[in-house]
Amino acid sequence: MEEKIISLDNLSFFVNDLIKDNHIVIGQDSKEINWKRITGAKDIVVNSKNIPSNISYKEFVFAKTEPIIYYKNKKDEFDIVEPALPRQKLVFLGAKPCDARSIEIMSKVFNWDYKDKFFNERAEGSIVIGVACNYQDKFCFCTSVGLSPVTEKGSDLFLVPLDEKNFALQIVTERGKEFIQPYQKYLSDGNQAKSKEILSKIKNPEKRFETSKVSEWLTNNFEHKIFDNVGDICVGCGQCAFACPVCHCFDIVDEECDYSSGRRMKNWDACQFGLFTLHGSGHNPRETQGKRYRQRIAHKFKYYQDKFDEVLCTGCGRCSRGCPVGIDIAEVVAEINSLA
Amino acid sequence: MNELRAKAKELLTNGTVKVVIGYIESTTPDRTKPFIARTAEDAEKLVFNKYCVNNLALYLTRKEFRRTGVVGIVAKGCDVKAIVQLIQENQVNKDDVYIIGMNCNGVVSELGQDFSAETIATKCLNCSVRTPLLYHTLLGTLEDLPKREDKNFVLMQKLDAMSAGERWDFWEDEFERCVKCYACRQACPLCYCERCIADKTVPRWIESSAHTRGNFSWNIIRAFHLAGRCIGCNECERACPAEIPLSLLNRKMGMVAKKEFDFVAGMGLDTPTLVGTYNLNDNEDFIK
Amino acid sequence: MEEEKQFEPKIAAFVCNWCTYTGADLAGTSRLKYSADIKMIRVPCTGRIDPVFLIKAFEKGADGVLISGCHPNDCHYNTGNFHARRRWILFRQLLDFVGIDSSRVHFSWVSASEGKKFVDVVTEVVNKVKEKGPFTRYAKINKEFVIHE
Ligand code: SF4
Ligand code: SF4
Ligand code: SF4
Ligand code: SF4
Ligand code: SF4
Repeated sequence: MEEKIISLDNLSFFVNDLIKDNHIVIGQDSKEINWKRITGAKDIVVNSKNIPSNISYKEFVFAKTEPIIYYKNKKDEFDIVEPALPRQKLVFLGAKPCDARSIEIMSKVFNWDYKDKFFNERAEGSIVIGVACNYQDKFCFCTSVGLSPVTEKGSDLFLVPLDEKNFALQIVTERGKEFIQPYQKYLSDGNQAKSKEILSKIKNPEKRFETSKVSEWLTNNFEHKIFDNVGDICVGCGQCAFACPVCHCFDIVDEECDYSSGRRMKNWDACQFGLFTLHGSGHNPRETQGKRYRQRIAHKFKYYQDKFDEVLCTGCGRCSRGCPVGIDIAEVVAEINSLA
Repeated sequence: MNELRAKAKELLTNGTVKVVIGYIESTTPDRTKPFIARTAEDAEKLVFNKYCVNNLALYLTRKEFRRTGVVGIVAKGCDVKAIVQLIQENQVNKDDVYIIGMNCNGVVSELGQDFSAETIATKCLNCSVRTPLLYHTLLGTLEDLPKREDKNFVLMQKLDAMSAGERWDFWEDEFERCVKCYACRQACPLCYCERCIADKTVPRWIESSAHTRGNFSWNIIRAFHLAGRCIGCNECERACPAEIPLSLLNRKMGMVAKKEFDFVAGMGLDTPTLVGTYNLNDNEDFIK
Repeated sequence: MEEEKQFEPKIAAFVCNWCTYTGADLAGTSRLKYSADIKMIRVPCTGRIDPVFLIKAFEKGADGVLISGCHPNDCHYNTGNFHARRRWILFRQLLDFVGIDSSRVHFSWVSASEGKKFVDVVTEVVNKVKEKGPFTRYAKINKEFVIHE
């Protein structure tokens, strides 16, 4: 892998140039709540010691709300207008390894039978500039789902903080190489030995479970009481799903509609909501919170694996940190692991 | 703590209560989480400390507990306010709860922090119910609370001094982040409606889309539905992943209720609810 | 100035069936003229006016709102207007706090026999809303996701 060096100052110039060249640069908000469009070098927060933001950056590829069609009533038929989707050149700056793979992972479900152009138009052209992670708390478990604080998986370019003022810039993918080409002037030659040494010093979070074991247990223990124990206290707030970098459920609703016209919106939804599976008949196949929580775990650690050979979780720990009633997903899955 | 465990054990074994809703230690020692103790063995796990932020009254309106018989609950003063309000609103039968009241020395504002003057929850700064108003057993002893400036109050004054337009801009910035997860609602002990107005679709009063307009209408109506009912536990704000200062809205409504009606929610079993009643002499100087 | 003259405010009026609506009817049959800027929405009682109606009115482009019903003690359902009054006291101040200027929202008691009062109230409300001008902040957020063809 090719490696360069970029100084902090040059990183600012680089970002300014990107913005000038019509890239949409997305970075973590300084309050660590969510991600925002960066308007200039002053907004840059590339910090390997940051806690993962409360809410991931998925909303830039999978919008929290967006119109998918507009319709208009003409005498006997409807006129359907599709929203224009200008191809965006998104750049995610400073993605931790537990964020960097999110688009790749979601892309599988958005391109399975139906190709979701809303997702694809944004995701396909996007560039992920990852950063090695030097933050760690009890909620992090990237190593349990096949990632690590130092992996470049998912990134096109990967930053390693060398000292206060310099980053090593690893060129990971062909796309990344092409993307960085016009900005060579900001890079100088790197030395892999130094970044390797730095990366080797970063401690891994402890591995808590084996995904294959968990998936197998889930196949055989659909009715296990562990889910009801969690359901006892889970309040079904959906914070976990909305904060998650890879949860991707949505609901479709019409709004602004009257007899003549309207628009159809695609909005985030979550399997922890009681209404998520409520049928028109009044029947609800997941009528208790325990059953809803089982869905959350099984979707992440079994169904998605069975279907797409991916764990639907990057181990970022957001859902656990933010859960108002302290449900820790790694703890639950580790318990399953110990039962298996 | 031993007192609490012993009491819970006693209540569970002698059949006074079917379950005790309490706290247990969570992922790290500076966190706790709700726990439903069903057996004497479960009772051994209960804890009470400065990290017991959750308002457990939230669980009292759950269907499964309505049928359980008497439910025991570990409650701080502010949690008891919620219980009182629930009794007032006929959501909880007074005889169906057994309150293990805790003399309270404040809690942290966010889990995962040490308890200090910096991190003590805003609601605790001027708390008048550190000994709960209603309890069946009272445990713990009171100590002095750390003090700090009430930053929210300062912000509130700043907002009050702004023009309506400036306030709109402030809230537009805040509401923009809302993702419509409704965690604020789910975490609130007084948001117990089986079907929330936000989930009604025929007609759809509050747009479910998380755009600015939908977010304004949700946040305004949420605050209004809690006017005169919110007891200020700040669970909504704590649950909000977008860190929207929801407590400002609730607090404003609380201040209006106090100023206009001399009413404070959850403070007594004898006072009728605020919006369920009226007074012939209510102010009407704004009506033509 | 030119623009201001042309500004025709949109004002949603929620009126109760038993008093104000009948009062407005009386104004009509007495051939009293009132502004067409008022769009009247008849509801059974002021107690039926959920505050969400006001928000909806603003969402739909209203520059002002009028709410009107029976005088205290005259409510067809005895207490609807008393309950409503209490809610308004709270809601007005919430609106102000989130930046929706409550001086765009007007309240009145107009009985079935007060055709003249109805006309006066409407005139006053229309003038006041004209003075305030269009409600641009809602207009701005209403543009989100509107398709431009
Ligand atoms: S954040 Fe916690 S309480 Fe909320 S739905 Fe998820 S697991 Fe349940
Ligand atoms: S399930 Fe939780 S830990 Fe896993 S990716 Fe989603 S938010 Fe992160
Ligand atoms: S508000 Fe009062 S009762 Fe509630 S946690 Fe703070 S000090 Fe304790
Ligand atoms: S609105 Fe918020 S502060 Fe008020 S009772 Fe509900 S959760 Fe507590
Ligand atoms: S918790 Fe916060 S983000 Fe979620 S709906 Fe409520 S205000 Fe919006």
